[in-house]
Amino acid sequence: MTTVMDLSNALAGAVERVSGWMFAVHGRPRLPSTGVQWRTGLVVTANHTVEHDREVTLTGHDGRSFAASVAGRDPSLDIAVLRAVVDGVSAADVADDGDVRVGHLVMALGAGPRASAGIVSALDVGRGRHAAGDLLAVDLTLYPGFSGGPLVDVRGRVIGITTSGASRHLQCAIRATAVTRLVEHVIRGGRIPRAYLGVGTQPVELPHPLRERLGRAQQTAIIVVHVKSDSPAAAAGLIIGDVIVSIDGHAITEPEDLVAALRPDRVGAAVTMTILRGGEPRDLQVTVGERPSRG
Amino acid sequence: MSALLAVEESIPHLARIADQLRQVTVEIRSPGGSGVGAGILWAPDLVVTNAHVARGSCVGVGLADERWIEAHLVVADRRMDLALFRIPRCGVAPAALGDSDTLRVGALVVALGHPLGLRRTLTAGVVHALGPARPGGRRFIHADVRLAPGNSGGPLADTAGQVVGMNTMIAGGLALAIPINDVGRFVASATASAT
Repeated sequence: MTTVMDLSNALAGAVERVSGWMFAVHGRPRLPSTGVQWRTGLVVTANHTVEHDREVTLTGHDGRSFAASVAGRDPSLDIAVLRAVVDGVSAADVADDGDVRVGHLVMALGAGPRASAGIVSALDVGRGRHAAGDLLAVDLTLYPGFSGGPLVDVRGRVIGITTSGASRHLQCAIRATAVTRLVEHVIRGGRIPRAYLGVGTQPVELPHPLRERLGRAQQTAIIVVHVKSDSPAAAAGLIIGDVIVSIDGHAITEPEDLVAALRPDRVGAAVTMTILRGGEPRDLQVTVGERPSRG
Repeated sequence: MSALLAVEESIPHLARIADQLRQVTVEIRSPGGSGVGAGILWAPDLVVTNAHVARGSCVGVGLADERWIEAHLVVADRRMDLALFRIPRCGVAPAALGDSDTLRVGALVVALGHPLGLRRTLTAGVVHALGPARPGGRRFIHADVRLAPGNSGGPLADTAGQVVGMNTMIAGGLALAIPINDVGRFVASATASAT
């Protein structure tokens, strides 16, 4: 009889609990976004809501304001990590998102607090720009200003960060494990490194005989149209006209797949790139570099 | 308790709430008006709705048992967007009222009305926010609940089936409801001045 009321109270309790870890993030004109204190002094938000070369301020749920600076960005996951001294605000209770299942009841929260409820509609929607397993699709409304806010379970634990910037068609959340990975980069190295090969590419069709020869189902791959000198790609011997088919066995069907395959934790690692040169498959070892920072 | 048990117990409970709410959700037809709006059976002889729904001093009120009765305006407040009508005693138990001041963001709520003419349709969601729609404005309950024209004047209720608001507007995809305590104060002052 009372289970629905218990659930209703649990959801309201979850909102109150999580709102203590949340901030309004003023990093763009007009509409503030939402941020979550992931670890003490590090606030996570959606990258697209924090403009470059702009002073960022945070407003806590009690109305206090704090200055913040960008410690790292991952545009492919649409996550920015901000550094701020926010005394009196505790870090979020981040849950193991491995338990999340399709159909679970979840809420997206925005600063205020404001709430929106729905269910997890798909796991592993990683396609294109995103590595498989980093995104959840949710069936709920992300209202204006929700981007960068927490996706919470019925216990009031954070299982992801919602953003309207991750997909044009789906409402998505970046899984907590992917966010934690980025935050730990900042803790260890003070920044989020960005992987770098130094190539320009375009998609290209793989003719049927080549597909058969490679034993791969993918219809397309990417062709190298530019190689920067002194880049990791140049050092590995990649030349214009090479067709990149896969990296470490993962199919590369469009340029965005390259971004997804080269996550920040690949910086400094050697990857095996399967290419076609003159119609002949061969493997190249490439040591992933770090993108030179902007100024 | 196992999740399955919880669901089995929850669903009949929600269905009971929906049945109760259907009984107290009336249809409002204004003379000359083409569409239908909603209203809340406040007392056995009183119906309250939005002022923008009931235009005129005499409107038709449709009860859940298919009866249509005539309702006469007691008082309307266009600024509050509330109107109170008197009906012949209908013998139906009126709405159970909740306390909108104790409502919490994230709480489950249901809305009943006649969206796009679909009579006594239930939609569900959570309280999105509490407060004015714009700085300095009046307080609304903002609910993450799907509404459509025809919901106006109908009840927004909590999981106990108690009416906590009157669905009034749709703004940015959100349902805006007048807190039921505000409606109560309006009814109290209207009936006090009418007697």
